[in-house]
Amino acid sequence: MTTSVALVGNPNAGKSTLFNALSGLRQRVGNYPGVTVELKKGRCTAHGTEFELIDLPGTYSLAARSPDEMVAVDLLLGRRPEEPKPAVIVSVVDATNLDRHLYLTSQLLELGVPVVVAVNMIDAATAQGLNVDAAKLSQQLGAPVVPIQANAGVGLETLMSAVRAAAGTAPPTGPAFPEAFDAVAAQFQKELSDELPPVLARRALIDVGGYVEAWLVERHGNRFKALLAGARDRLAAAGHAVPGVEARARFAWVKAAVSAAVTRPAERPVTRTDRTDAVLTHKVWGTLVFLAVMFLMFQSIFLWAKPLMDLIGGAQDALAGAVEGALANGPLRALLADGVIKGVGGVLVFLPQILILFAFIAVLEDCGYMARAAFLMDRVMSKCGLSGKSFIPLLSSVACAIPGIMAARVIENRRDRLATILVAPLMSCSARLPVYVLLIGAFVARPGAPAWLPGVVLFGMYMIGFVVAPLVALVLKRTLLRGEPPVFVMELPAYRRPKLGAVLRRMFDAGWAFVLRAGTIIFAAMVLVWALLYFPYTDAAGESYPVRIEAAEDAAKEQAPRLKELKAKEQPTDAEKTELEALEAAAALPDKLNGEWKRQSALGRAGLWMEPAFNPLGWDWKIGVAALASFPAREVIVGTFGLLYDSGDVDPKSIGDDTADEDAKEKAAGFVAALRDDWAKDPVRSKYGVPVALSIMVFFALCCQCASTLAVIRRETNSWRWPLFTFVYMTALAYLGAFATFQIGALIVG
Amino acid sequence: MLMPLDMLRAGEWAEVEEVTGQPAWVGRLAELGIRNGARVQVVQPGSPCLLSVAGCKLCLRGGECAQILVRPVPGASA
Repeated sequence: MTTSVALVGNPNAGKSTLFNALSGLRQRVGNYPGVTVELKKGRCTAHGTEFELIDLPGTYSLAARSPDEMVAVDLLLGRRPEEPKPAVIVSVVDATNLDRHLYLTSQLLELGVPVVVAVNMIDAATAQGLNVDAAKLSQQLGAPVVPIQANAGVGLETLMSAVRAAAGTAPPTGPAFPEAFDAVAAQFQKELSDELPPVLARRALIDVGGYVEAWLVERHGNRFKALLAGARDRLAAAGHAVPGVEARARFAWVKAAVSAAVTRPAERPVTRTDRTDAVLTHKVWGTLVFLAVMFLMFQSIFLWAKPLMDLIGGAQDALAGAVEGALANGPLRALLADGVIKGVGGVLVFLPQILILFAFIAVLEDCGYMARAAFLMDRVMSKCGLSGKSFIPLLSSVACAIPGIMAARVIENRRDRLATILVAPLMSCSARLPVYVLLIGAFVARPGAPAWLPGVVLFGMYMIGFVVAPLVALVLKRTLLRGEPPVFVMELPAYRRPKLGAVLRRMFDAGWAFVLRAGTIIFAAMVLVWALLYFPYTDAAGESYPVRIEAAEDAAKEQAPRLKELKAKEQPTDAEKTELEALEAAAALPDKLNGEWKRQSALGRAGLWMEPAFNPLGWDWKIGVAALASFPAREVIVGTFGLLYDSGDVDPKSIGDDTADEDAKEKAAGFVAALRDDWAKDPVRSKYGVPVALSIMVFFALCCQCASTLAVIRRETNSWRWPLFTFVYMTALAYLGAFATFQIGALIVG
Repeated sequence: MLMPLDMLRAGEWAEVEEVTGQPAWVGRLAELGIRNGARVQVVQPGSPCLLSVAGCKLCLRGGECAQILVRPVPGASA
């Protein structure tokens, strides 16, 4: 027999700390259809009783304004089909700020469920000279009160025994409202003749424009609107206009309880938080510290993640090599080596960045700095209709949109959060860099071009993201995500020392969520594109391409020493010259065959068929196929280009990387030359090489060519609608952008 | 004398007299302690501004501060 216990409290009350301290590693994340909130569930055993704990999202009151906020209310009332009604509610409050936190407690006392009040951070209260008399407070509230210190594990035993004792007892009543209010509320409930809990009927009455009201209007239509207006008019006539009546009644009750049970020093001492804030929220010093913190965060993501990512890439290559050595040539081997292993590697490669970013976010949030950063950045972000909390998610997206989108969890306002998630993929992520470097190297940095030009073009590509993302956010907030401007009011919590355990847990949760739920989709997309480029794998004569390529490779390998020898000769004879040519052709044969194969694959044919759509962008079908193939992951374009231009499989990492090994560099250089040669033969691309290259770059800057991003958006928004929307709007934007770039560029050149 | 909260300078104390605007917003502010009769101190003016309310720091935007009418309390402390 387990006792279900719900933990409820204001943000910063230390609710999650208590939850972690109680349940340890016995946790899981509950998922609820239709909402973006995550509810954590855990188990703990104390005094021989098994407790099932639910950690509800932090909230200041039960006045729900969105479906997300309503989940908590419904759950506490036992109205969610997934969960039973909790046997006990633990109301977690901050001992240093009882005036505020007991407001929510007063609402919890009315839910018809026994409540235990956990007064947390009792040590901090003592340090400030506050003295909380638990017995007196309990008497005032009509519910058991247990002082605790969740971060040190103090008082938890007592708390759980109070919870066990409270289970099954008569529920408390909470503060009294004016009689006239109760009368109107009772009449309203009767007129409504709905099987609604009285608590919800009162919420509908009090919360003007709240979620319960909207939900009942949808359910009962105009009849309900008339009833509600009548009841509110009667309340106003009686001098108890909503919503003020609730705050007055509750705060009067809270004030009485606090003044009876809490003694405080005459003068509020200047705390360390006050002194720290004098610097950290200062316009100049605070901003400097903020920039330094951001720089450190970025530098760490780039520097620390790279070796780990290389390690994952190396392991992936080694594993693929082992599979290729162990299995016979054929679709199965290719599926394992190029589909499955690359697919898994493509998922895992994001993990280092996600873990590092979340370590930073956890530390910054737990110590209380995140709210200060949001405060500092709010002025800038409010210009594009977002709040300061969107800054870190958007900035992180410059490294990679995946962790950036996951970081948007810190934004409570649903519309702000969605807008941030939807524009985050527009920021120029690090996977776009190889594409930019390749094309700039091939077409912009030509002999004779000014030395500053490549840098300016690269800078311009990054600026596209920085400019377009806020603009799109602004448009979204004015159209699709329009609504009342969010109530921007944010609490700056007291500074606290972050706990290693909590930080590790955040990292683990983020990584696990990504691998488990986004990883499967990314993996599927990678395998799909592999298959589209693999099948059909026989040529016109019915011979298998992979077999032919392997034979050609073996032959080339055998002849390599002779080729080297001939190449080294200063004055070869005519016979040797012919031999050299034949050998060189044989050496190039595998890449040529590979190109032929990819061109007649399912994706290659689709590209050929779609060529008319690519023409206005200045593209031929090869560029089109490369762009199509890179929809699951944009860095793939470099490799696909390589295949299509008969240069073999070029490693995107070797492009523009001076530390790459000689072989890879030579291959990359050969590829750039092949790309230039091919374009020189074509009437459009020989004349308009630069506009075409720019048009490709703009397309990549704006397009959502990243299955991982879409998978993460799907996971974070819990719906297919938003990833679909992101994909469509970004593709349209990219097409238009590339179109405009090429047409304008062609005008200037032509 | 009544004035909007954003007229106050750094360090000044005031008593909240009236909060206007969307009911949801008024309700949220009341939950956070900004309601009729509450004492607030402006820690840092501007937009967004920093307020100290009942020992807690809150951050609000200027436009929203203008909806809160206060009566300055000279030389007071909590």
